[in-house]
Amino acid sequence: MKTIDYIRMAFRNIWRSKLRSALTIFAVVIGATSVTIMLTLVFSIKGFFTQQFEANGTLQQVAVSPQSGVSDYNSISNNGGGQGNCGAGTCTKLTDALVTKITALPHVVGVARATSSLPFAAIVFSGKPYTLQGVAAYDANGIITNNIVAGRDINATDQSGVVTVPSIYADKWGYKNNYKALVGQQIELETQGFYSGVGATIQKPNTSGPNNPPSPSNQQAPTYIKATVVGISSNGGGGGGGGQSNAVRVPLPWARLMEEQQMYQQTPGSQGGQNCGSRGQCQPAQPQFTLVVTNNLAQNGYDALTVKVDSATNANGVASSIRKLGVGAASAQSFIKSQLAIFNVIGLVLGGIGGIALAVAAVGVVNTMVMAILERTREIGVMRAVGAKRSTVSRLFTIEASVLGFLGGVIGLLIGYVLILIANPIINKQLKLNSIHTSNIINLPIWLILSVIGVTTLIGMLAGLYPARRAAKLDPVEALHYE
Amino acid sequence: MADVEAVIQLKNVTKTYHLGGETLNALDNVNLTIQPGDFVAITGPSGSGKSTLANIIGGLDKPTSGNVIVDGSDLAELHDAKLSAYRNKHIGFVFQSFNLQATNTALENVSLPLVFQRMGSKARKARGVEVLQAVGLGDRIKFKPTQLSGGQRQRVAIARALAIKPSIILADEPTGNLDSARGQEIIKLLHDLNKQGITLIIITHDLSIARQAGRIVEIRDGKLVERRA
Ligand SMILES: Nc1ncnc2c1ncn2[C@@H]1O[C@H](COP(=O)(O)OP(=O)(O)OP(=O)(O)O)[C@@H](O)[C@H]1O
Ligand SMILES: [Mg+2]
Repeated sequence: MKTIDYIRMAFRNIWRSKLRSALTIFAVVIGATSVTIMLTLVFSIKGFFTQQFEANGTLQQVAVSPQSGVSDYNSISNNGGGQGNCGAGTCTKLTDALVTKITALPHVVGVARATSSLPFAAIVFSGKPYTLQGVAAYDANGIITNNIVAGRDINATDQSGVVTVPSIYADKWGYKNNYKALVGQQIELETQGFYSGVGATIQKPNTSGPNNPPSPSNQQAPTYIKATVVGISSNGGGGGGGGQSNAVRVPLPWARLMEEQQMYQQTPGSQGGQNCGSRGQCQPAQPQFTLVVTNNLAQNGYDALTVKVDSATNANGVASSIRKLGVGAASAQSFIKSQLAIFNVIGLVLGGIGGIALAVAAVGVVNTMVMAILERTREIGVMRAVGAKRSTVSRLFTIEASVLGFLGGVIGLLIGYVLILIANPIINKQLKLNSIHTSNIINLPIWLILSVIGVTTLIGMLAGLYPARRAAKLDPVEALHYE
Repeated sequence: MADVEAVIQLKNVTKTYHLGGETLNALDNVNLTIQPGDFVAITGPSGSGKSTLANIIGGLDKPTSGNVIVDGSDLAELHDAKLSAYRNKHIGFVFQSFNLQATNTALENVSLPLVFQRMGSKARKARGVEVLQAVGLGDRIKFKPTQLSGGQRQRVAIARALAIKPSIILADEPTGNLDSARGQEIIKLLHDLNKQGITLIIITHDLSIARQAGRIVEIRDGKLVERRA
């Protein structure tokens, strides 16, 4: 018997008992629709996030932390590594020398150096201080992007005196729907007490007092550093290693100056001796102080580095090469993988529910086929009499059951597709409200279409095996006399 | 018309049924030889084993013991696939109750054995029309069994048997559900086919039909009694 005839006969027989077939298929449809919708949702959302990461280049990034043994992208990029903040692992300073080594590694396109441990306490706008969520600086080479909603970002030519502020400040300052108006305004960054970087007034120790501490103390008054707002960044923007998403951004050259530590040190040998005049009159010697400038950034290194790799596939390799240099490094891929693992779990659970529906549908198929065999016993006898083999009869019923599953799968997919067509505009609208502009994130991948149809067809086939065996085992003589 | 000139030889054929401890010999040591082109009538009382004999000759049933040799091979030893192929190539069954598929047209019913020969649908259709014309139903090919009279239905059944160009037609009470005039028409049709060379075995308890056969074989309690050679 030819395959085409098997299929033709299967469809004819299904059509012959329309109502019963329809009810059986309906059960398969419910299972197929639920599996389709659930898997589509899960995979589309997963795909959407992956796409978002791809779009902002995160997948091509490797985050570097001074702590060796750190391989969690998220902790590096959110905590900004931290100078000298070494947990269990050993520390290697993220110095410019190290940056040069990393830049020389194969597949490395560029490195963004970042510091987020700038000593500021508050941001002052029109005379009022506001709590700071951090001040960050990083290379303006495009590796770490700051999501600008008004004005411009810090660029490579900026040296000092400019900042971008996150929109949460703009909202607090009364510019909620008018971020543009904040561009060009002045703010002040209030330093912490011990600040002795650029702009700080360093008091020369009182030379007359005998035991004046020469070093800056915490009691010192804060310094106010003026800056012009050049851009407003959106909250959550400015990701990447070392970039704090709600941080005020300053140019890296300026940050370097802020990290300077200036203090007066007594010139060695200038104290203790007595300066005695020729007339036998001795006066205490004037201690000699010189201003010593050290740079924290140069001494302790950067908080974190973000390395850009030529392609996402090389990110893991570059991360491990960097780890060999004694620092911690992680690609975003592993992080994203773990972030998206939850969707795998959701997918499994929801798919499982659909699976149960399909199992119930399979029982329906078995029942329908057993009924069909009882009804068509005589017909089976005739087929045997005119030359059908047992295997032919068996295959006929198996294919008929498979077709029931196939039809259920196809109809289920169609219904699922229609629901997706309805859902997409609603989701688009929702995302737009959250200022994410995408279109139709939910789609039916071809492999899902093929697997759903394949699985329901397979279920039909498996459900048909037992009835088909029964049909094949019928004795032709008895079948012909079946009343 | 026959492709194969088949001699049918039954040697010590016994068919035993076991029913709750009792054994019943539906056929008891039957020996019978049928030559190609013969017209044999099998008669006997109800329950004597006529249908059992026909089914064994047709390869639809197997004997408990003995040999059924057709065209040199022993049907008792063939597996399902070979036996089915034998039925499909050589045997045309005609039943008392027609056994047509109610939802299919006359043409589709007639083409069914050809489906199992893997014949293409066009060739099947052509052959179906040909045999329906041969039984005088050329104008009824699209009719369903319920739209046909009893005699017409049996002619569709004969056309179905003819479709495969059988060497043997086994007709089990082909006139049992028809009035005598309609029955006579069917016998004439079958007889004509026999005259074209097909071996014809008719089971009947109608003596007027049996008398038209070249040979009458009578069965009583599973044992064979030759009435006329
Ligand atoms: N499947 C079976 N199980 C048990 N006994 C059977 C079976 N099939 C047939 N028989 C018995 O075998 C005997 C012969 O049956 P068979 O059908 O050959 O009779 P028959 O001569 O064709 O009768 P009729 O003229 O009524 O059709 C009967 O006694 C019947 O009860
Ligand atoms: Mg009988």
